[in-house]
Amino acid sequence: MLGRGVKRKWSCLEEAEVVSEARQLVLGLCLEKLQRYQAGVELSLRRSVLLINTLRQIQEEMRSDGVGSCDVHPDSCLLRDDFREDVTVTCPGCSEGESPPELPSQEANGSDQQKPPAAVSDAVNAMGYLGDLALDDIFEDIDTSMYETSDLPSAWASGSLPQSHSTAGSLQSCLMDLNELDHIMEILVVETHLVGPGLQNGFSL
Amino acid sequence: MPVCVSDSVKVGCFALQTCLNYVLSLGIWPGGGSSDVQWCFSQVKGAIDDDVAEADIISTVEFNHTGELLATGDKGGRVVIFQQEPESKNQPQCRGEYNVYSTFQSHEPEFDYLKSLEIEEKINKIRWLPQKNAAQFLLSTNDKTIKLWKISERDKRPEGYNLKEEDGRYRDPNTVTTLRVPIFRPMDLMVEASPRRVFANAHTYHINSIAVNSDYETYLSADDLRINLWHLEITDRSFNIVDIKPANMEELTEVITAAEFHPNQCNTFVYSSSKGTIRMCDMRASALCDKHAKMFEEPEDPNNRSFFSEIISSISDVKFSHSGRYMMTRDYLSVKIWDLNMETRPVETYQVHEYLRSKLCSLYENDCIFDKFECCWNGNDSVVMTGSYNNFFRMFDRGYRQDVTLEASRENSKPRSVLKPRKVSTGGKRKKDEISVDSLDFNKKILHTAWHPLDNIIAVATTNNLYIFQEKLN
Repeated sequence: MLGRGVKRKWSCLEEAEVVSEARQLVLGLCLEKLQRYQAGVELSLRRSVLLINTLRQIQEEMRSDGVGSCDVHPDSCLLRDDFREDVTVTCPGCSEGESPPELPSQEANGSDQQKPPAAVSDAVNAMGYLGDLALDDIFEDIDTSMYETSDLPSAWASGSLPQSHSTAGSLQSCLMDLNELDHIMEILVVETHLVGPGLQNGFSL
Repeated sequence: MPVCVSDSVKVGCFALQTCLNYVLSLGIWPGGGSSDVQWCFSQVKGAIDDDVAEADIISTVEFNHTGELLATGDKGGRVVIFQQEPESKNQPQCRGEYNVYSTFQSHEPEFDYLKSLEIEEKINKIRWLPQKNAAQFLLSTNDKTIKLWKISERDKRPEGYNLKEEDGRYRDPNTVTTLRVPIFRPMDLMVEASPRRVFANAHTYHINSIAVNSDYETYLSADDLRINLWHLEITDRSFNIVDIKPANMEELTEVITAAEFHPNQCNTFVYSSSKGTIRMCDMRASALCDKHAKMFEEPEDPNNRSFFSEIISSISDVKFSHSGRYMMTRDYLSVKIWDLNMETRPVETYQVHEYLRSKLCSLYENDCIFDKFECCWNGNDSVVMTGSYNNFFRMFDRGYRQDVTLEASRENSKPRSVLKPRKVSTGGKRKKDEISVDSLDFNKKILHTAWHPLDNIIAVATTNNLYIFQEKLN
């Protein structure tokens, strides 16, 4: 599929550029869709899982592409023709070589375009933390099944975070809030260890 | 009398051909004779105007076991049941029309106070129970609660009470001088629907499927991560038979998309996933069927790989054939028929709208790529049907290897008018009567279709209208 000989370098760069454009577009769409939040209605778990998987796949590809130099990913070539076709359909003002159009103003997307892999993995990791160990360890003996959310770890769908951010809905402000919550969690964990076996009978500091 | 061998052969062949033609025209050829079947418009139900009320959006369609009753559920939580009129003697060629038999509010919107979230009243699935007595029973479900409804007819009422007037008021005891016993007199038919069982609080996630077991005593309900087994008589308990929830939700990569019981083997059921796999489980093996007995998965075609490969492989519907030998799955672009004895790949694959493969990015952008299309078998498993966009629906004849695209629209709604096959042009040149891919209306989607279990009658749901088509009979 790749040309042989002298031309290889050029077509390689060209393809890499187009693939990278495609990735940026799909990545942007993924994030936009994950952040979309309809007040009071539960998000579809299937849709969220499919979006996250797509996001992860792009992340993987970006990571692996960053490693290899001219190692064009197998699907990039196949994507190219399809993507070009799609670019004219989805982005009327877009033509070859232009960067993807500005998605509805979200600071997250702006920063993401600069350093996608780091931001995405940070987001996914930070957001996952809340649903993770800390709560389970502390409240082991309490049956929290009633409080199970049928969504992903609440922060994956960023709109379900505390009300103060129902208007913002941007990735950055969510991450800041999460950092504060992380801080609070750390304090609680430290205090638990100080209290020790007394936890069974309630805190007694 | 043939005078030589060659003549007799000719006569014999001619006779055979004539017989074949006759049998084919009767439509009783084992293969279904789809190549001869022409579909005619029969009826359309629902509002005529283009302004669609959200509550009227049809969310499920299901024939009962005899095909006499046709149930629809909508986003507003209502169930409407149509009944087929008996064939009239005046028009023996025309199968009976479907008229409204019963309408009732099955589910109401609820509010989950713990999570501050609305629970939609939209009916996700309706499943009929086989008829055991005069009444009809069906299961209907929204995202969280399943209900068993009894639909019964009342066409007689008691008259001539001793102590009451006809309007119910009690008579003055002093005027009662004789004793009389009430007798039943005919009245106008009244169809009543009453909820007999409510199966609630068993699903944390959204219910996508319910399926009645062939033992007619149990049924399963499936949500994104779990499948529960119920007994129809018992509402306060259910058994969890599949649980794919990971300990850490961050590790979640796959959800359950549909589940069905085998039509004959009451211990066997299947469930499909968002990754394009189907797992078949045997309930005799263990209480929790987390280990599948069989897993059906087709290896990905490396030529078709894209960012959206996983999304389009997600299975939106799974249906066993009536025979129980095959099952059919629907993913975004195709319909696949699987032989239950072969897990490695489907035995048949039909492309529903392959011309959309190059448009996946746009379809992802406008969310259409997440649409969940259903599919169905005809009565003798020879033809399968599924919906598409632009109010098109597709039929694939397995025997004759033919397929056809038809359209459900008000324009083709003249009584008994034959439906003309439609075609989507994919190349540069668009022939007359063809429609180009870019002109397709992606808001007009046919997600729900149903096929009469015994006859060539189909019910096709557009956004808010139900179309009934019948085979053209001469």
